[in-house]
Amino acid sequence: MPLPQDALWYKDAVVYQVHVRAFYDSNADGRGDFRGLAQKLDYLQDLGINTIWLMPFFPSPLRDDGYDIADYHSVHPSYGVLEDFKAFLDGAHQRGIRVIIEMVLNHTSDQHPWFQESRSSHDNPKRDWYVWSDTDTRYRGTRIIFLDTELSNWAWDPVSKQYYWHRFFSHQPDLNYDNPAVRETMWGVMKFWLDMGVDGFRLDAVPYLVEREGTNCENLPETHVIIQDFRRRLDEEYPGRMLLAEANQWPADLRPYFGGGNEFHMAFHFPLMPRMFMGLKLEDRKPITEILQQTPAIPENCQWCLFLRNHDELTLEMVTDIERDYMYDEYAKDRSMRLNLGIRRRLAPLLDNDRRRIELMNGMLMSLPGTPIVYYGDEIGMGDNVNLGDRNGVRTPMQWDGGWNGGFSTADPESLYSPLMLNPVYGYQAVNVQSQKRFDHSLLSWMKRLIRIRKSLAVFGRGSIEFLYPANHRVLAYVRQYGKDAILVVNNLSSSAQAVELDLRRYKGNILIEMFGRNIFPRIGDLPYLLTLGPYQFYWFRLRKI
Amino acid sequence: MPEETILNDDFLRELMNVGEVDLLVGVPTYNDARTVGQVVQAIRTGLLKYFPRQRAAIINADGGSKDNTQELVRAASISDMHHADNLYALRTLHCISTRYTGTPSSGTALHTIMAASDLLRANACAVISPDSTSITPEWIQTLLQPVVNDVNDWVTPVYRRHKFEGLLIRNLLYPMNRAVYSSRVREPYPTDFAFSGRFASHVAGLDTWSEEAARVGAEMYLTIAAITGKFRIVQTYLGPKSRGEGAPADLVAAMRRSVGTLFWSLDSTFNIWSADLDPEPVVTIGPEHELDPEPLRFNRKRLHDMFARGVGELEPVLRSILSHSTLCQVQQVASSPEGELGYTDELWAHTVYEFAAAYHKSVISRDHIVQALAPLYRGRTYTFLAENRDNSPEALESNVEALCLAFERSKPYLLEMWNGRK
Repeated sequence: MPLPQDALWYKDAVVYQVHVRAFYDSNADGRGDFRGLAQKLDYLQDLGINTIWLMPFFPSPLRDDGYDIADYHSVHPSYGVLEDFKAFLDGAHQRGIRVIIEMVLNHTSDQHPWFQESRSSHDNPKRDWYVWSDTDTRYRGTRIIFLDTELSNWAWDPVSKQYYWHRFFSHQPDLNYDNPAVRETMWGVMKFWLDMGVDGFRLDAVPYLVEREGTNCENLPETHVIIQDFRRRLDEEYPGRMLLAEANQWPADLRPYFGGGNEFHMAFHFPLMPRMFMGLKLEDRKPITEILQQTPAIPENCQWCLFLRNHDELTLEMVTDIERDYMYDEYAKDRSMRLNLGIRRRLAPLLDNDRRRIELMNGMLMSLPGTPIVYYGDEIGMGDNVNLGDRNGVRTPMQWDGGWNGGFSTADPESLYSPLMLNPVYGYQAVNVQSQKRFDHSLLSWMKRLIRIRKSLAVFGRGSIEFLYPANHRVLAYVRQYGKDAILVVNNLSSSAQAVELDLRRYKGNILIEMFGRNIFPRIGDLPYLLTLGPYQFYWFRLRKI
Repeated sequence: MPEETILNDDFLRELMNVGEVDLLVGVPTYNDARTVGQVVQAIRTGLLKYFPRQRAAIINADGGSKDNTQELVRAASISDMHHADNLYALRTLHCISTRYTGTPSSGTALHTIMAASDLLRANACAVISPDSTSITPEWIQTLLQPVVNDVNDWVTPVYRRHKFEGLLIRNLLYPMNRAVYSSRVREPYPTDFAFSGRFASHVAGLDTWSEEAARVGAEMYLTIAAITGKFRIVQTYLGPKSRGEGAPADLVAAMRRSVGTLFWSLDSTFNIWSADLDPEPVVTIGPEHELDPEPLRFNRKRLHDMFARGVGELEPVLRSILSHSTLCQVQQVASSPEGELGYTDELWAHTVYEFAAAYHKSVISRDHIVQALAPLYRGRTYTFLAENRDNSPEALESNVEALCLAFERSKPYLLEMWNGRK
C-alpha cells in the first residue's frame, strides 16, 4: 500500500504511540525489539492507525526511559541494530503507515561522549557544547520541572569543577544551542534519520533550548530562530516530512511554535487533555469549550495533536490550582498515583474501567479538531501499576494473549524489563488482544470501527469546528465542516440520560445520518432539534442535504 | 404534586437543562431592579469562591416585574467564558429567571423556589432577599455551609443591627415564638436564610401554600414549619443588614406578613405548642446578637400620639378583642402623659396573647384584628425606646430577655384564653 503523497498527511493521521521495548520481544531477552515490532505491523494496520510514533530507541543508560540519549546515530542494542530499524520502517511504509521518531534536542545523557569530552577539561573543544557556570545562581527565574527529584537546574560536576545546566534530571545536561556547532550537529542527526526514511520527528522539550539571564528560559525568541532554521532545511531537503513539537505550554504560548507556518507542523494540545477528564467528571462541557475557545487559530498547514494518555503522567501543569486539586481528588485519591504535577495512570483505570466512558473519551479524541494519538495498549483497555517507580507503571508490556508472559515474550518472566499486569481486572489473562479479537463488541473491535469512521472523512482532520451551546451543559455538541462535508457530534458527559435541544436552523433541510449504524434521523427543520442520549453516549451524524 | 401546578413548562424546561444540583440559591423578586444585580453578583461570587466544585444554580422567582428585574438577573449570570473577580469556575453556573403566575407574593415565590429545589434534588438551598444590598459573598458560605455539612435543615440569620432596628422582632415575634414553640430563633421572620433538601421536599409538598397567611408571610411560615417539624435549626451570623431604603415602612403590612402568620399558625399547630415543650436551644454560629450602639432617631411624640389616638378610636374593636382587665390597663397606659408612658412586659404579653386568641376565634375579621394591634404595638415600642434610650447593647439585650420571660410566664394565660375559659 503506497503512502499517500499529500503534503498535509499529518492532518489525516491517526497516530499510535509505542515503546519498542514494550511491544513485542522477538528474541526472548525480555525486552521488545524492532523485529518484534515489525512482526506486529499487521496488527497495527488492522487496527487502522496510519502513523506510528516511536519512543526513544537510541543507545541510552535508560535512566529516563531513553530520553537520556548516549548515541544519536544508532539503536539501543536491546532493540536490535540499525538494519532491524530499517526493515521495520520499510514494513510500515509498505502497509501505508508512516513513522515518527523521537528526537531529544534539548539534552543528552551525561554518558554521551559529547558530555564526557566536555567535562574532561575546560579547554576541550566540546566544552562549549553544554552550559557551564562557576556558580549555580544564573537563570534564577527558571522553574524546576521535576520538582519531586530535583532541587536545582544546576548540578555540580566534580570532574571539571563547574556547574552544568539541566532542565530535567541532573543526568541530562542541556546542550548549548548558542554554539553553532551544536546546531549543525543536531541537524546532522536529523538528516541521518531522514535519509533513512523516517516521516517526521517529535522534538522533545523544545521550549528549553536557549537560556537567557533575566528570563524564565522558556519559549525565547532565539529558540524560535533555531526551529525555523531546522524547518527551512527540512522543507528544502525533505519535503513532506513533519515536525511535531512537545511543548507543555498554554495554547497562547504554543502558538508561536507554529510561526507563520514555518516552524512546527504540529504541536500537542496539552491543556485540552486534563480538561476532557475534568469535563467528564464534572459532567459539564465548560472546561472543554473554554480551553478550545481560548485556543488561538493556527496556520492552515498546521495541526494540533490530541491525546488522552501517553507515556508520561497526566500532566496538570497547564491547569489552575483549583482544577489541579480537583483532578487529584477525583482521579488520584491515592497519593502514589501522583507524580511531579500529574497523575501516572492509564486511560482505563482513570475511567474506572467504564467502557461507556472509555468510548466517549475516545469519541471526543477522534472528533475534536486535531490529530489523535492512541497510546499503545489503550485500545484494549490495559491497566497500570502504580507500584512501579517513576512513570514505569504505564509502560508495562503489551498484552497480546492470555498465555506465557501475555504473549509479549517467551523469556522467563523474571527477565522481562517490567513485570506484567497480573491482577484479575487488568491482568493479561483478562485484557489481551487475542481475546478481544474474537468479539465484535470488544473494546478493540470498537476502536477499529471508530478509527475507520474517523478516517472515512477528511472533515475530522481538517474541518472547522463550531460549538453549539445547548442549554443542557452536560452535552458537548459541535459541528465540524470541511468543504461540503459536515458532521454533527453530540456527547453526553453525564452518567445519566439526557435530553438536549440543538439549534440547527442553519442546517435546515439536512438529514442526519448516524455514522456508526448509518441510520437516518429526522430532517432538520425550524424547531430545536431534540435528541436524547443515554449515559455517556455520543453520536456522530453526517449532515446530508438530499 | 405541587410542582406540577407551580412550575410552568418553560421553567420546567430550564430546570431540565440544569439537572441535579448540589446547591441552589433562590432570589424572590418583584420590581427590584435597583438592587437585584448587585445581589446576584454577590451570590455568584460566593458560589464560585466557596463552592467551586459543587453543581449550583441561581433561581429567580419573579412576580411580574415591570422594571427589567428579570433581565438584570439574567445579565448577571455567568456565561461559559466569563471569569468573575479573578475567580475560576470549574462548572457552568446556571442562572434562571422565571415569572410565576398569580399576584406577587413572597409565598408563591418561595414555593416556586422550594419546588425547584425539590425537583433538582438540591442538597442545600439559600434564599436571599433582593434588597439585601449589604450582602457579601461570605453570606453564601455562611448560610449554606451548615446545611452542606449535612447537619442542619433550617438556617436563620443573625444580623448586626442598629440598636433600635428590628423592633417588631424584639418586641413580639421573637418573644412570642420563643414562648409558644420553645425555640430561641432570633429571626423567626428572616429574609435571608437557607434550608436542606429534606426540608424543601417536606415543605414543597404541604397543601397550605394556597392560604393567604402562608402566601404573604411565607418566611414566618417556614420558620414555624421548621420548628414544629422538628427539623434541625441553626443560626448563623451574617453581619450588617441593609435597611431596605427603597420601601417606606408599612407597619400594618409588616404585621400582616409576620404577626398575622404567627397567629394563623397557632391553629394548625395547637397540639404541638399546647403540650409541655422542652426548650429547644438553637446553636448559633458566631455572635448571638450584635448591636450597633448608635441609636436611630425616632419621633417618640408621634409614637405616643398615634398610640393614644389609636386606643381611643379603636375602643369598640379593642373591646371585642381584649379582656376587660387588659383593655382597662391599656387605656390607662394610653392616657399617661408622654414621658410617663409605661407599657409593661406583662401587659404587653397579655395583650398579644389575647389578640392571638381573638384571631383564633375570629371574633371579628382576622385582618382587622392584626390591624388593631398596630397602635398598641406603637405604645409598646414607645416604652421600649424610652427604656433603652441610654442603655448599652448588653442592657438592651437584658431587657429583651426579660420580655421573653414575661411571654413564657404568660403562656398558660394564652392557653386559657385559647380554650375560651376567660
